[in-house]
Amino acid sequence: MALTLEIVTPEARVYSDTIDTVVIPTVDGEIGILPGHIPLLTQVEHGELRVTKGSTVLFLAVGGGFAQISGDKISVLAEHAITEEKIDEKAAEQAIHRAELAMKEAKDMDPNEFEHLQTMVRFAGTQLAIKRRRR
Amino acid sequence: MASTRDIRRRIKSVKNTRQITKAMELVAASKMKKAQAAALAGRPYAQLMADMLTALGGSVDESFHPFLAQREVKTRGILLVTTDKGLCGPLNANLFKLVTEIKSPAKFYVIGRKGAQFIARTQRSMVADFTVSDRVAFKEVKAASEFMVAQFLEGVIDTIEVIYPRFKNTLIQEPVVRPVLPLLSLKEVIAASQADSGIVRGAQSDDREMLFEPSAPQVLEALMPFFVNRYIYQLVLSAKASEHSARMVAMKTAKDNATKLVGELSLEYNKARQAAITQEILEIAASAFAA
Repeated sequence: MALTLEIVTPEARVYSDTIDTVVIPTVDGEIGILPGHIPLLTQVEHGELRVTKGSTVLFLAVGGGFAQISGDKISVLAEHAITEEKIDEKAAEQAIHRAELAMKEAKDMDPNEFEHLQTMVRFAGTQLAIKRRRR
Repeated sequence: MASTRDIRRRIKSVKNTRQITKAMELVAASKMKKAQAAALAGRPYAQLMADMLTALGGSVDESFHPFLAQREVKTRGILLVTTDKGLCGPLNANLFKLVTEIKSPAKFYVIGRKGAQFIARTQRSMVADFTVSDRVAFKEVKAASEFMVAQFLEGVIDTIEVIYPRFKNTLIQEPVVRPVLPLLSLKEVIAASQADSGIVRGAQSDDREMLFEPSAPQVLEALMPFFVNRYIYQLVLSAKASEHSARMVAMKTAKDNATKLVGELSLEYNKARQAAITQEILEIAASAFAA
């Protein structure tokens, strides 16, 4: 029995395919999903999502969100998500750089803004980690 | 009768206006397409959210979350979604009409410059205004909705409502007040969410009991703000689609009017020209007779 995986963000459906297994980063640590998993609703953390299909392994960077497993259908609802081939290393580096600069400059910045910058840094960091592992 | 030169000048200026309105119409049309596509792109997300809430709905006590609890409404919190620029027909004016109908004490949060100006001019209490670009990035709307949620939790406002032009089709945008918080019950949320995405899903295919990690209330605690952000985002997307289609229609009307005016002016010009020629012939003929 194959699993179907669907990853959506508010802006688009990032990924949708039938797969063999997937490893999802959750707040309680990584969980691997195989066919026949019990129905589950869990919180997704910033991190890398590993999709195995046949002999290929695909990495995706995901930002906070939720995952639902129901029958052989896995749905991931994330604020950000990006597939490995779409990651732009330079853009991610620059994003980190920009965000860090902004965080240094304004000590008493709006906490929301600060949190957003932190999220950006973490997401960009995840993207870089995925991209660089291959070398 | 105006001189032919005056009429020619007017024709030229009306033609220029027509050129501009035509260009604006085309720009608005392409932006409208993008805005509609963006609104559609949000649908799978809305649907998934509805699915998850359905799964959660059965397993938590509704009275436990602050978003669900009913409380006495002292101050309404209203998010007014307007445009930054004018030239979009009666779109903003219709929204303002809704605002003036609100008599109970309310605090306003505004997206768009036109709304901010209106609230300031009518001396209503405005807490914050936000700008959202034409692309409507999620984070721009999130800043606004998270700010409102924080105020809601602090008790500064007792409701969160959104006034926005709902996109029905290219010709019709109706101004509506959409209550967001408090959510009356989970079921209502789910129904609203499903109506939004236009898809009603049947029962879960898997009837084994659902497992929640870390726990159902904790997941709900995290999912609720998420849901509110997403919901408001969808409303803003709809407002953007409305703005561009209203502008497109307004510009099309302006262009058509200009074309009509050019026709009328050309007629008048030709008449004036003809009259001048006839006059000249008469004068020549008269002087020929006299000689």
